[in-house]
Amino acid sequence: MSGVTRGGIALAESTRSLLDPRLVIVTGKGGTGKTTVAAALALAAAARGRRVVVVETGREEHVPRLLAPDSEPVGYGGREIRPGLTAMRVDPYEALAEYLGLQLRVPALVSRMMRNKGFRQFMDASPGWRELITLGKVWHLGQQQTDDGEPRYDMLLVDAPATGHGLTFLDVPRVVVSALRAGPLRRHAGWVEEMLRDPTETLLVPVAMAEELPARETVELVEHVREGMGVPVDRVVINAVLERPFPEDCPDLDERLARIPEEPPLEELPPAAVIASCAAHLRSRYELNQRYVEEIARTSGLPALTLPFLPGGIRGPDDLGVLADILAGPASGDAA
Amino acid sequence: MSVTPEEIVDGRRIVVCVGSGGVGKTTISASLALGGARRGRRVLVLTIDPAKRLADALGVRSLGNQPRAIPRKVLDRLGVPADGKLSAMMLDMKRTFDDLVERFAEDAEVRNRILENPIYQHASDALAGSAEYSAMEKVFELSERRDFDLIVLDTPPSQHALDFLEAPQRLLEFLDSRLVQLLLHPAFAAGRFGFRLFQRSAHQVLRALERVSGVSFLEDISEFLLAFEGMSEGFRERARQVQALLFGPESAFILAAGPADESVAHATAFLDRLEKSRAVVAGIVLNRLRMWPAAEVKLPHRRQREVAIASLAEALEGGGEMRGSAPRAAEAALSMLDGYASMVQQDRAATAPLRERARRNGYFWRPVPELPRDVHDFDGLARIAGFVFETIREEEAVGG
Repeated sequence: MSGVTRGGIALAESTRSLLDPRLVIVTGKGGTGKTTVAAALALAAAARGRRVVVVETGREEHVPRLLAPDSEPVGYGGREIRPGLTAMRVDPYEALAEYLGLQLRVPALVSRMMRNKGFRQFMDASPGWRELITLGKVWHLGQQQTDDGEPRYDMLLVDAPATGHGLTFLDVPRVVVSALRAGPLRRHAGWVEEMLRDPTETLLVPVAMAEELPARETVELVEHVREGMGVPVDRVVINAVLERPFPEDCPDLDERLARIPEEPPLEELPPAAVIASCAAHLRSRYELNQRYVEEIARTSGLPALTLPFLPGGIRGPDDLGVLADILAGPASGDAA
Repeated sequence: MSVTPEEIVDGRRIVVCVGSGGVGKTTISASLALGGARRGRRVLVLTIDPAKRLADALGVRSLGNQPRAIPRKVLDRLGVPADGKLSAMMLDMKRTFDDLVERFAEDAEVRNRILENPIYQHASDALAGSAEYSAMEKVFELSERRDFDLIVLDTPPSQHALDFLEAPQRLLEFLDSRLVQLLLHPAFAAGRFGFRLFQRSAHQVLRALERVSGVSFLEDISEFLLAFEGMSEGFRERARQVQALLFGPESAFILAAGPADESVAHATAFLDRLEKSRAVVAGIVLNRLRMWPAAEVKLPHRRQREVAIASLAEALEGGGEMRGSAPRAAEAALSMLDGYASMVQQDRAATAPLRERARRNGYFWRPVPELPRDVHDFDGLARIAGFVFETIREEEAVGG
């Protein structure tokens, strides 16, 4: 069942393309490149004619910077930053104001609540509602229609907050449903929970890196999601996987360099021992990286899709395009 | 002139190691603690979420919420003198919070009411600040016991800068807030004229909340808060002491960072916030920096590249290589070196602003090179400590 896919070779045939689900939630430990993956997926979807909205949940906007480097901040209202691609940052308080407006239908009351210092303090310290309201906004975006009655978005992409202790972001709707006895909030949380568990519409995409801590956390996340929550997950994306440091016909280059005698010194080069030590270092890091790739695939029991480490970093749409092609993969059908 | 890590572990009682997740904060914390022990102090490292194998090495997996002493024979091997001690502990935040409830609850009934309240069970670890609060609480408790000269606190990975340090304050503000007070004492608030006007908007807010959430939710919440109220005085006093300790002259903050762009950005944001607070920032440990294994490495200029390759190919043959394959290997070695050089350059450029800031503000700056393998044992920690305390020089960095 488990296996590692390099460079976008098709996963098992039963596996959908990452662009098929209506809702894709990208999650993972901080620093693994969740946002990069979300942005690359959005790029791939838009390039295939889907109307896609990508929702950021952090305090800063990163997607617009990656996809349309000169664009102004998009904010809560969102903006189409490339044809067919809307970017948005959901601030929980703005989402709360919108939600209360829809529920209470008294704008003056809502604005008074939002300005009330006690209310702010209360909400600042209260757990869970930010996650719930953010997912509620996503649900709401999924319901929106154009004037012709078509869904406004073919695809919703969520760059989820970094997984920390537990998995509060996706756990919250379930907790609310079980903690509340009745009322509109319970009903709405139920809708959100249903959306998250829908096996045909929704896919959770964990993003890992081939290092010890992210590997462990990803495996824990997959276990938790599959056993406890029922949110669909069918593969792990492993980001920034190192490329082989030497060509395949010189696999032991470091050892060969290490056998060079100290004398005579090399011309125009640092001492052979220094070159050998650089080579040994790169090989060691590469092999370690590969071990964690295998380990993630094996212990999570899921296929792993690897993305290459881009030495120059990811500076804009061109770099993302490389990743987008791998993520979309040939299985997307219309990719040819 | 900046302080040194030596002065910090010698002179302070608390060292708080901050930084974003994934930079190796636990490793840095543990190596700071080891450095202190090597200088003859009794040190505890309090970690939150260590990587499994490091946790196993420290022996903190199995023993919950209590310090565990590292055995003497391990300490001997690590060069810790007889008067030095090293202990490690992994914080169980939920349990620490439960302990806190036990301590401050007026009586058994109140205690049970809190511990059994559904909101507490669901939310005590999520209630903003409670996890952070418990970490600080534990530091305070341990510092009171005086079993240790120095406690190194490995802070929980928080997404945003100093949420960790501000959390206790927010928790107190929450308990003090008018809305919470109103949930707790609706009759009291309604019965006093002066309060009524004052509280009217809060009443409206509550009623609006009720319409959305349902009455039962607010009842459960107010039951939970009511139980908390009885203990909030003890709580408050404690939070004040904890803050005074962390921001006082006995504590220092050390920032752990990594060379990736994102990590440098986080580190910069951390420093911005730390510098605005009353915290004493001592220095920056830049972990997993990619650097040359020797002090001065010069690569051939484009024009000399052919000469270099020929020379290396010849040397490879001299080392017993088969004829024919050596030029190919020499080419591969050159492009490997180019790749290495660009990594080194990238990290140096990315971290330059942090380094400059350290210089300007008198923070110590300790680069720790990326090692060939991950650190998950004491020998690895000793190696890291060697870089932080500068007993290993940079040029010995790689290849060991």
